[in-house]
Amino acid sequence: MTQLSSPNLSALALCAALAAAPGFAQETPVSPEQAPASPDAPVIAPDDTDDTEASNAAPPVAIAQTGADWPAWGGDEKAQRYSPLEQITPENVGSLERAWVFHTGDLPSGTASGKYSPENTPVKVGDDLLMCTAMNILISIDAKTGEENWRYNPEVPNEAIPYGATCRGVSVWTDPEKAEGDACATRVIEATLDARLIAVDTQTGEPCADFGDNGNVDLWEGIGDKVPGWYAVTAPPAIVRGVVITGAQVKDGQAEDAPSGVVRGYDARSGELAWAWDLAAPDEMRNGPPEGETYTRGTPNMWTTATGDEELGMVYLPLGNSSVDYYGSNRSEAENAYATSLVALDATTGEERWTFQTVRNDVWDYDLGSQASLLDYQGQKAILLASKQGDVYILNRETGEPITPVGEITDPPQGDIEPDFIADSQPVSEFFNIRKPDLTEKDMWGFTPIDQLFCRIRFRQARYDGYLTPPSTDWYIQYPGYNGGNDWGSVAIDPERGLMIMNYNDVPNYNRLVPRETADAQGWKPINETGNEGSGGAEGAGDPQVGAPYGIQVNAGWQSELTGMPCTRPPYGGITAVDLETGEQLWDTPIGTARRNGPFGIPSMLPLKIGTPNNGGSAITKSGLIFIGAATDNLFRAIDMTTGETLWSDVMDQGGQANPIIYEVDGEQYVLIGPGGHHFMHTPVGDAVIAYKLP
Amino acid sequence: MATTTFDTRSDSSAAGEERLSRPGWGVLLLGWVCVLFGLVLFGGGVYLIVLGGSWYYAIAGAGLIVTGILLNHGKVAALWIYLLIWAGTLVWSWWEVGADWWAQVPRMVAPTVILLLLLLCLPNIRRVQRRPL
Repeated sequence: MTQLSSPNLSALALCAALAAAPGFAQETPVSPEQAPASPDAPVIAPDDTDDTEASNAAPPVAIAQTGADWPAWGGDEKAQRYSPLEQITPENVGSLERAWVFHTGDLPSGTASGKYSPENTPVKVGDDLLMCTAMNILISIDAKTGEENWRYNPEVPNEAIPYGATCRGVSVWTDPEKAEGDACATRVIEATLDARLIAVDTQTGEPCADFGDNGNVDLWEGIGDKVPGWYAVTAPPAIVRGVVITGAQVKDGQAEDAPSGVVRGYDARSGELAWAWDLAAPDEMRNGPPEGETYTRGTPNMWTTATGDEELGMVYLPLGNSSVDYYGSNRSEAENAYATSLVALDATTGEERWTFQTVRNDVWDYDLGSQASLLDYQGQKAILLASKQGDVYILNRETGEPITPVGEITDPPQGDIEPDFIADSQPVSEFFNIRKPDLTEKDMWGFTPIDQLFCRIRFRQARYDGYLTPPSTDWYIQYPGYNGGNDWGSVAIDPERGLMIMNYNDVPNYNRLVPRETADAQGWKPINETGNEGSGGAEGAGDPQVGAPYGIQVNAGWQSELTGMPCTRPPYGGITAVDLETGEQLWDTPIGTARRNGPFGIPSMLPLKIGTPNNGGSAITKSGLIFIGAATDNLFRAIDMTTGETLWSDVMDQGGQANPIIYEVDGEQYVLIGPGGHHFMHTPVGDAVIAYKLP
Repeated sequence: MATTTFDTRSDSSAAGEERLSRPGWGVLLLGWVCVLFGLVLFGGGVYLIVLGGSWYYAIAGAGLIVTGILLNHGKVAALWIYLLIWAGTLVWSWWEVGADWWAQVPRMVAPTVILLLLLLCLPNIRRVQRRPL
């Protein structure tokens, strides 16, 4: 998105510009077992409390925890992105250096050019790092040396790329009934852009013959006509009690008649469908749709990562919105009941346990993008959820009841498009939210008074009634935009200090509903019709929303039509530490420098902190460090958890829009990130995976 | 208006320097730039006022136009008028965003650059012959 180039009048812009862009994304996983690696990683004794009858799935297993390993996308099952390792400290992190760099070799070719946003985060299990690339090539490398063990290429075609070529990660499952050394005793499972579930042996990279069709399960089954790119998976699956659980990304804004948002569980050993959860017909569709039918179309999907809970036998699904994001009057009651909600299911039966909705009748594309984290809170088994609006909720994960206070915004603006549909009140976290005050004309930015004046005029021309301004056929301001708050990078939690570390975006969108005839005249067509080249670009930039009376035009990040730079002042992104006890911020600081951006696209090299849009989360250590890339300055940095001060950084050649991990081999602690870049963030795309350690 | 002097010999107070019949090309260029930007700011600024927004841009734009015209006539008054605009901009800018330095960039950087350029032009302007507008 935001790329700044300068209009540059009176010259000498010592102005740095920023660039930036929001991105979005999807998913998260959870995982498996594996012996606890760190000495202080307790094994949770499984209890079978809610194993209902027909559990064809395995009983709960010992849960792997972070330490020497980073066994799951979110660190471990709790998805706290917290490592108990202490070798690298605030005192010695300044001397951190590269241990090795591995190149996956997966770079865009042909039609994939300009569509790469790999966002990949490996898991570390035993001696190996297991990862997927943008086009879903599975790779195992040695965690100590970065040497390749094996790779498996599922040959995903470029046409399967939805919004971006992304594979956020993989999940690992150990079959309790197999002996070590058996084929696929431990398997790595990924879901692909062309909607397959793939299982291969972690030791050899050979497909698991006992899983589906030679290691492949087709997720298009029951979805309907196969339209490449419309239905794609970018998140690692959750694996709970032997059930692999996945949703899918359904490309936004195409049509009301879109692929279903069904979430499905598959037997981790056989790949057979264990259950399906179709929110509009949960009972009828539990074992798949009747012959010749599909799962309910157009329902809210889960593109981001679910969180598994081996102990309770549950899985927590952060749901997005219906396919048509900006118009809601045609939605079904079921869609309205579940959209933009965290939903807990019984992981072995797919039955619903509870739901918690964060937006009522969402017409802002405020999908839940962040993976929820498990924690113990005030003596309860809890789950923490961060939203794109910047609200943070902590719920009892057995019941879904909020533990922290939830308030109501009782007088949101109603607009004139569909005032009967716009909800009369909306939930808001009274525990913590990062939302800033509503925008005013003074918040408009630029390089010079002239482009600032232009943005002020655009501000005054737009409809804007503050937070939750509903869509309009006039230009209107949505703030925060769909990249605001916390996205797929999710938050990190330090259970010992009682802190939550959250990086966030603070960026508006400038939008307009486009009447059907105009959208048609512009040639906006959905992905299932030929000749849809006229639409697309950034998410929501010219989306047809077929079936609704309006298409949608989104200027994501509200870039000036005059200069291409953001119309609002920096910072566009920050990182904050929040006391989980009180909800108070310990510190809050912009993240990202102006070094990569400047007038005319020339890097300013200014090391000044400005606060760029950021995408990707952090990994934190017991010793009090936060490791994070995410910003558009291509820096990978270590931040002091107690002060927010940046203690160390490394300049990478690509954008660090991926979550880092922390692990240990032979007594040495490593920090690793795979800076793949991001097309929408305008950061350079690459295939490197970089490991750091102390000299 | 006057005058046909080709060659004004320096008087004793400006020993050795020639009097100019009009400002140098650099000054003229700056003058036209000021007029141009002033027109854009004034026009857009009036529209912003109509939309209910800040009055700053129309006022600053008008001031910039006057500055530019004075420059083109080689008047030292251009500097005084502009100093007034610049000081007003400083006060307004501080009132709007205070010590938010990134927010100060669009407000103060370009006006300050113009101020510096004006100061550079000063020696040339001072040599221009006084004459009525």
